[in-house]
Amino acid sequence: MKQILAIFTKDARRFWPEILVSFALLLAFVFVYPNEWRGTEALGVYAYRSFLGANSPMGFLANAIVVLIPISWWILIARLIHGERLVGDTQFWLTRPYEWPKFLAAKLLFIAVFICLPLLLAQSILLADAGFNPFFYLPGLLYNLILCAGIFILPLAAVSTVTTGFGRMTLILLGVVVFIAGVALLITELPSDTSGTVSGPLGDSLSFILLACGCAAVVLVQFAIRKVRVAWMILAGLALLMTTGAFLDPDERFVEHSYPSEGFGNQAPVQISSYAPDASIQPSINGTRDKGLLEITIPVHVLGVAEGHAVILTAFKATIDAAGQARWESPWQVVYNETHMPGNSDSWLRFRIRRAVYDRLKSTPVTLHLSFAVDDTQAAGSSSIPMTASDFSVPDFGICTPQAYSWLRRNPEITGISCRSAMRHPHLTYVTAQWTDGSCSDLDPEKTLGTAWTGSLDSDPAEFGITSVWTLPLTFSNNWGNRRGGDIALPRHFCPGSPITFTAYNRVARGQVGLTIQDFHIPEMAVGDVYLMQMK
Amino acid sequence: MTPAIQTLSLSRKFGRTVALDRVDLEVPEGAVYALVGANGAGKTTLIKVLMNIFQPTGGAATVLGIDSHKVSGKAFNRIGYVSENQQMPDWMTVGDMLAYFRNFYPQWDRDLEQQLLRQFDLPLKRKLKHLSRGMRMKAAFASSLAYRPALIVLDEPFSGLDPLVRDELIEGLIDRAPETTIFLSSHDLAEIESFSSHVGFLEQGHLLFSEELSSLTGRFRDVTVTLTGPSTLPPTPPPSWLQVEAADSVVRFVHSDYKGAAASEEFSRFFPSARDISVDAMSLRSIFLSIAKSGRIHDASAASVLGKAKGGKE
Repeated sequence: MKQILAIFTKDARRFWPEILVSFALLLAFVFVYPNEWRGTEALGVYAYRSFLGANSPMGFLANAIVVLIPISWWILIARLIHGERLVGDTQFWLTRPYEWPKFLAAKLLFIAVFICLPLLLAQSILLADAGFNPFFYLPGLLYNLILCAGIFILPLAAVSTVTTGFGRMTLILLGVVVFIAGVALLITELPSDTSGTVSGPLGDSLSFILLACGCAAVVLVQFAIRKVRVAWMILAGLALLMTTGAFLDPDERFVEHSYPSEGFGNQAPVQISSYAPDASIQPSINGTRDKGLLEITIPVHVLGVAEGHAVILTAFKATIDAAGQARWESPWQVVYNETHMPGNSDSWLRFRIRRAVYDRLKSTPVTLHLSFAVDDTQAAGSSSIPMTASDFSVPDFGICTPQAYSWLRRNPEITGISCRSAMRHPHLTYVTAQWTDGSCSDLDPEKTLGTAWTGSLDSDPAEFGITSVWTLPLTFSNNWGNRRGGDIALPRHFCPGSPITFTAYNRVARGQVGLTIQDFHIPEMAVGDVYLMQMK
Repeated sequence: MTPAIQTLSLSRKFGRTVALDRVDLEVPEGAVYALVGANGAGKTTLIKVLMNIFQPTGGAATVLGIDSHKVSGKAFNRIGYVSENQQMPDWMTVGDMLAYFRNFYPQWDRDLEQQLLRQFDLPLKRKLKHLSRGMRMKAAFASSLAYRPALIVLDEPFSGLDPLVRDELIEGLIDRAPETTIFLSSHDLAEIESFSSHVGFLEQGHLLFSEELSSLTGRFRDVTVTLTGPSTLPPTPPPSWLQVEAADSVVRFVHSDYKGAAASEEFSRFFPSARDISVDAMSLRSIFLSIAKSGRIHDASAASVLGKAKGGKE
């Protein structure tokens, strides 16, 4: 312990300017960031804020500090490791009785005391400022620290252990950024059979585990045996694995496992049927940027969602069977923003097909089978709260603030709600409220239902971030009033006292739902599309 | 008695370059062993292998009975290491550095530390980066001697220092010599000669000899033979004769295996018409130079001579 404390104290004495800068930035963050929600507390302030938006001086400062804090940590970690660098053969400590576990422990203690603990404190203060009890969110705070360690601290420490100084480390990090940008560009430019890959917890978790374990291995190798070549090989292997993971999305391959075809037994939570009521709503086909790929759009009808349930279409894949021909199957691809409530609703599905497959099948009727990966969710609890002019708390959701705005009317009116939640976005929640068109003082004002979905089904206790408070403006439907006579359309508003209902939804089952369309005729391409395809 | 340092066929390569080639070396406990050799001979590499800064590519080495692969952590409680190229914690003052290192050595001797500070006249409150080269070396010595290590390893400790500082450092070492083994590499042969008990000569990664200094100086002689007529070189001089030269009626050479009567017999056999034969003892510097020069001129033969000499000692 004596050795750990000696190294720790020496580092703290040496790097006090860097520590001071890092603390000052965190302190500034704690002072400035609460303006994200404080500014909307009072009626009338919103007009100023919405005019300046994120470009307000405070907003800009908060954003700048969010960028500067990780930079200050980067410098601190680099200086800390390079202070007794692990590359080279002339360092004084090499021939002193440094025991590597204690040496490593001293450096970890430094990071814990001067990076993790201040972050924990800053996040706790932010939570308290936002109206949340930090002790209640301790698991989330610790989880976020783990994420910070895995995503930020360990990679920086790993690169520091294989470099001789800050300049070389910066060059390598720039190289990493260029490499990631190149891979991202390559993925974007490569022909893809999907319009969007399924991004799920598996890919994220695998990437995180891979990154954290790989970087931890590099740090351990360097502190224990100082084999720079081995450490670089681990880093190269890590880069290779992560790049491969970026090209071969593991989630896409595990949809079948996560959403089993028998997941719902005999009771599918939703029925999906083909839908073509008139000539304007019909399956269609379009070209894509890649002339070898075409995109088929199919209108579908969604019904049969049970009362108290909501169904999310997460992903789907298409299978085409033609008589005497080989079967064609698309990969699983993501469906965006498809949450269906009880009642009937329509949706458009898009999938990509190779031009060669299209040319082969376009003239013959085929059997089109669509498989949907579906999340069945059920309302778990509901809170109805009368609209107030100030903050109101929503159990298991967060704290919301009415947003007031003056729009050609003399007095500001509540035209929206902005909420904040602790450590992460809230669980999937359906929010309803009554819009009013006229004045709130009218005896019987005209009312319209406004609805909004927010949050996600993720169950992690925290999201990765420097902030512990997440702000989320709720975007309600029907927010603009009807135009009457010569009047211009005005935004609707909420009257004080009108109820707002927050209904949380929990996942109850996952599985697949199918739709089979017999004798499906793959639509013909429009003349213009054919011309454009030929021009490419 | 376990030798303080022992290497067995120790080799180290850097790519295709052979820095150490099957070096067999033994440093007895309590010895002051000087490793000499020209630049690039492999002295620093050998020391860094012993200190586990480099790993050997062949053979093995033990330091204070510990396999060189395992020389780390607590093993350095008993080893002091000072090198001319070693980085120091420059941001620290001398006092801070000593206070910092004190935490690592349970046997740190505060009285000895004070004594060394006085002996080397070190300014406690001055930062290391503001010290002269000599003062930095003194600080390094003080921080490596104050815990009374069983072995002190010094890599070119006197290089580039003024004579006064050298004397002070040597004096500091001599004071420690009775209780410790000292292993040092150096070009400064005059100083080494004054306090070394053993010497080893490294040439292009090969250890040409390793023996007690008294034995070495005892077997090397500067021989001048004055002949009655014009001098002629023997057609096949013995391999133990180095740098054989002839001018007018004088033949000069260095005898690397001089043994009194046997040598006299050898001289009369090769030079029957000798008018005068003078045999002079040589300084370590002269021995070093003659070996180095003969090594460059007649590499193969010199190696065989010295190999034989080493074998003879064994």
